[in-house]
Amino acid sequence: MATLQAHGIAAGLPGGFEGRIFKRLGTGPEMPFAVAHFATFALPDEVGDFGGGAVTLMGNNDIFASLFEYGPGSAGAQLFARQGMPRDLSTTQFLPYVLRRGLTGQSGTQWFFTEAGRPFTLYVVLGSHARRAALVPRVNGLLAGLTIHPAPQSVPVGVPWN
Amino acid sequence: MVALVVVVVLVVLLLAVLVAGLLRSHADILKALHDLGVGVGEPTDTPDHDHQAAAAAHPVPVPFTMGPQLPPERDSSSAPTIAGVTPDGDALAVAPAGSGGLTLLSFLSTGCSSCAGFWESYRDQRKLGLSPGTRLVVVTKGPDREIPAEVAGLAAPGLAVVMSSDAWTDYEVPGSPFFVLVDGATGRRIGEGVANHFRQVAELVRRAEVDATPFAAGTRDDRDVGLDGPARESANDRELMEAGILPGDPSLYPTSLEDLYGPPDARMPSATRHVTSAG
Repeated sequence: MATLQAHGIAAGLPGGFEGRIFKRLGTGPEMPFAVAHFATFALPDEVGDFGGGAVTLMGNNDIFASLFEYGPGSAGAQLFARQGMPRDLSTTQFLPYVLRRGLTGQSGTQWFFTEAGRPFTLYVVLGSHARRAALVPRVNGLLAGLTIHPAPQSVPVGVPWN
Repeated sequence: MVALVVVVVLVVLLLAVLVAGLLRSHADILKALHDLGVGVGEPTDTPDHDHQAAAAAHPVPVPFTMGPQLPPERDSSSAPTIAGVTPDGDALAVAPAGSGGLTLLSFLSTGCSSCAGFWESYRDQRKLGLSPGTRLVVVTKGPDREIPAEVAGLAAPGLAVVMSSDAWTDYEVPGSPFFVLVDGATGRRIGEGVANHFRQVAELVRRAEVDATPFAAGTRDDRDVGLDGPARESANDRELMEAGILPGDPSLYPTSLEDLYGPPDARMPSATRHVTSAG
């Protein structure tokens, strides 16, 4: 099992998944936070935070997942009241209209939560809603291997932009 | 005068000690070689075959270390996921076996002189000659063997670079530069080797892409059938004229098998059978 670790996020990738844990370069007073992308297809070099540029490449058996960290100022907000990332999703939690970009046949799910004191959103897209029974267990396999650690101390406090 | 004699005697004694030491060292080396079974001559009166039998009875321990075994799911053509870090400190995992298309893994180092041309070539990926469906990934050794800042200085913006020493082990990379082409559809390595220039690599990738194209894919209507009709005939005439075969050339009007295939002695047996059965 391939293992990734950066910016306080660790992932043990199930077979067939590839991934990227990164921070975008800041271009001003904004402060970037960690973003993690995971997919069962070749991730392009440039992918939007929530899969822009990638979800259009998905096949029916593909999965895309994004773990997006918000600034520490969001911690404690009602939106992030849930403690802990969901790791056992069900097929009924994937809906065709829960998509950042509505593409025919796909479905998605999105969760806001706080883990290790860090506010996140988890966004997952299935290549085919009709095949959700086969795809969701693979999503859960991916989520089971994700670990979020407390924010690294080297992260300075600034103006959150995401 | 006496002092000079004393000095000469001392020098001779010193040289004698040195020569004795060298002879002793030489004898020890010969004895060690003999114990290993590769000695020349016989320092003792023991017959050679007796000594070999004695050596077999008392084998000399030789340091020998086996590397870690590959996991059972891996073999010489599998394409495991490459996981490591980028020169910027991000984490990156590439799964060539799940990508669907072709992935060209380019194993490079910062220190090898023959890698420099490849780093330079990758600065403009549009000129590499790779099809849009082929992904290029550079794999260097991990931060334990390479300095990330040096890798970052060589890597062009937008170039996918993974720093992973494990990947070099997984793909059995003998040295750099080294290239591995993975077919994502089958999840197998379909080519690997070294090259001096990227155009050599690009040509191999192009051939692999042609090989991967299904021969009879599609219907007759949507296949590229090339020239047809009058254009095809004109093209045939043009190629024949360029080859020096003009209208009326005897080769265009064979009257016997010899005209087509040469003398019977020169024919391949299978060709003869084919012509006979076809005729």
